[in-house]
Amino acid sequence: MTRHLLKLVWNRKRTNALIILEIFFSFLVVFVVGTLGLWLLDNYRRPLGFSYDNVWNVAIDMRQTGDDTFTADQVATFKRILDEVQTLAPVEAAAGSMALPYSLASYNSSRDFDGRQIGYQVSEVTRDLDKVLRLDVSAGRWFEEADEALAWQPVVINARLAREVFGDEDPVGKTFIDDLRVVGVVSEFRRNGELAPPGNFLFHLKRVGHPEHRPAPNLLVRVQPGTSAAFEEVLVKRLQGVARGWSFEIKPLMEMRRTSFRTFLTPLAAAGIVSLFLLLMVGLGLIGVLWQNLLQRTREIGLRRATGASRRSVHSQVITEQLILTTLGVLAGALLVAQIPVLDLIGFINDRIFIGGLVFAMASIYLLSLLCALYPSALAARVQPAEALRYE
Amino acid sequence: MIRNYLKVALKVLARRKFFTFISLFGICVTLVVLMVATAMLDHLVSPHPPEVRGDRTLGIYLMAMTGERSTVSAFAGYKFLDTYIRPMAELPFVESVAVLSLPDTVVSFVDGRRLELDLKRTDGEFWRVLRFDFLEGGPFTAEDDKNARFVAVINESTRRRYFGGGPAVGKTIEADGQRFKVVGVVKDVPALRLVPYADIWVPFGTMAASTTMMGGELAFKGELVGNNFGLIVARSRADFPQIKAEVAMRFKEAEKDIPDPEQFNQLRGGAETQFEALSRLLLSQRVEESRPNRLLAVLLALAVTFMLLPTVNLVNLNLSRILDRASEIGVRKAFGASSWTLVGQFIVENVVLTLVGAAAGLIVAIATLSAINASGIIPYAQLGLNLRVFLSALGFALFFGLLSGVYPAWRMSRLHPAKALRGRSV
Repeated sequence: MTRHLLKLVWNRKRTNALIILEIFFSFLVVFVVGTLGLWLLDNYRRPLGFSYDNVWNVAIDMRQTGDDTFTADQVATFKRILDEVQTLAPVEAAAGSMALPYSLASYNSSRDFDGRQIGYQVSEVTRDLDKVLRLDVSAGRWFEEADEALAWQPVVINARLAREVFGDEDPVGKTFIDDLRVVGVVSEFRRNGELAPPGNFLFHLKRVGHPEHRPAPNLLVRVQPGTSAAFEEVLVKRLQGVARGWSFEIKPLMEMRRTSFRTFLTPLAAAGIVSLFLLLMVGLGLIGVLWQNLLQRTREIGLRRATGASRRSVHSQVITEQLILTTLGVLAGALLVAQIPVLDLIGFINDRIFIGGLVFAMASIYLLSLLCALYPSALAARVQPAEALRYE
Repeated sequence: MIRNYLKVALKVLARRKFFTFISLFGICVTLVVLMVATAMLDHLVSPHPPEVRGDRTLGIYLMAMTGERSTVSAFAGYKFLDTYIRPMAELPFVESVAVLSLPDTVVSFVDGRRLELDLKRTDGEFWRVLRFDFLEGGPFTAEDDKNARFVAVINESTRRRYFGGGPAVGKTIEADGQRFKVVGVVKDVPALRLVPYADIWVPFGTMAASTTMMGGELAFKGELVGNNFGLIVARSRADFPQIKAEVAMRFKEAEKDIPDPEQFNQLRGGAETQFEALSRLLLSQRVEESRPNRLLAVLLALAVTFMLLPTVNLVNLNLSRILDRASEIGVRKAFGASSWTLVGQFIVENVVLTLVGAAAGLIVAIATLSAINASGIIPYAQLGLNLRVFLSALGFALFFGLLSGVYPAWRMSRLHPAKALRGRSV
């Protein structure tokens, strides 16, 4: 039976080739959008490593343009700001930080570890960041006051980076590079937020008031739940009182999170809407083409009916033929996209997401193809033998 | 002849309504996506009011200071623009030169509410190069800039948010710890138009009070690379090459002012159109190269790639449609019509179909763009269809019509007359 159907498909190869091509392109479109969606979903489901609610960021503008210098005066002013903030009642904890959760700017570093190049994001943070962001320290400890006097640089890394650099060994107490020594490990820290892929992270300790440590450009503040926006103004006024001429901009992390989500989801939504319309177009087109093709084969179908084929068997013939075409198109598409993991073209797509995208695309295309075949095949099955044999 | 083709084409369209509908649907969807994308690109790189002289304007946008080991890439610095570009206004082929900063977010508080405003500092010439729609009052002048008067022009939204919508001229607005007297209110400008856009415009001179002093000199006044744009309006587009050459020379000249020659020895950048600036930003590693033609090629290639699926879909439909007309083709062939005539006829028919689809697409595109404007995804967006977008949409429609018409037309012309007359398959 299948062999016979394949023959029928082959006999109309020119028309069918175009249908296969159309299915092939549709498959690619669904695969790309589906994989992108699954990738974001996969990122979203992984633990974030910090808590963002009731945390505000105060961006500090020291009003200096350009280069990398800073003055002793600015260092002292920053210390005063940090002390001042902690005296305010609604503030539970505050810490300075170079890198900011959910922001698009990042500080990256990459070092050679016994021939392996390992990249990671870095941030310089002051001592209380663990309380502000509620970091989860899984091994060793977070920075403490005594660390500020050490002759070497204490660092805290995330578990992913610890695994990559030290493998199964216990990283606590080991030298990271140069004079950096690991004092603790946090289970996770995904600065770029839920939708970005997880990465490696390293915290340096920023010593407040130290003449060689640049004042942090961001002040992260955990406020008590229920603190109103009116406190923002109070906070800014207080800070401006301490640091004359500096400017401050407050933004809750919640708001930055929303912006970050929008940045990641807008392209997906746009691509999704466009591809939905494309699929609708393909669906309608397939219905039209199948209908027309079957109209042309009225005599063939009539003959089958006249020789005793049931409606159902005509029905299943049409649908099987369509599924054969779909399979060919999907196979071609799958062969093409299989080059991605084979040649390792796009690093961030792991096998699970790739297979998920493949299955999603296959399922959608088969479903679409089946839906499109139903109506034309029902029409074909309704053909009366007598009428069909007269058909010219 | 063409009239006859058109008549036949319309008759055919009316005959198989379902087919016509699905063909039109596909064409419409395809062209809407292309039109919306074009409108967005146009919004980003082509001059719109208030940039009334935009087509005669070259800008100094991106700039970099490079050395053996390090590079500072940013925008033009105030000192560079002031010392080297502003005097170009004296040249016979230059109409005027304006200097402006990029919008910078500042915060102010009104009755305990926090307002974020995008603040732009400009010179007086800015208001002559760009023609804003003033709802009340007027611009500030070069005089105001020179004397560092605390005056500001605000946009309509800021007037509403800050003053509740009533007249604002003469009132005081606080931004970033400074107090400005409002002298004018203009209509909102889209946020993606970096040259005109701001919520509040104030004179460069007022930066003085808020900026740290560096050796007695205002820091921003000493910058070669910084946070500003320079605009050079030419007398005519024909003067562009001359202006570009002049600016390139002045870049070289300014290199003697680089503060630490040990670290940096070159200034890079040039006068360019916004499309050239975008092409450089996207495609080129080096600052002095811009590749507008390559960017155009990349964008067209993307458009064609996007058209692939719709094209195959339409080709499929067209092929099915020919079958319908096998006997008509047979008759025409039997009476001596050449293959070329038939190919021509079918392509004309298909182009007509595409144009009808494009007309429908135009309406949908306008609706989509105004929905995007209303959604506020892009602040103050004023996406719309202008002549440029319309013409490129027409170009896309014609190209799409040809692309999807050629293969079916060729197949049709190869139909054997005898077979066709019997109404057999293609």
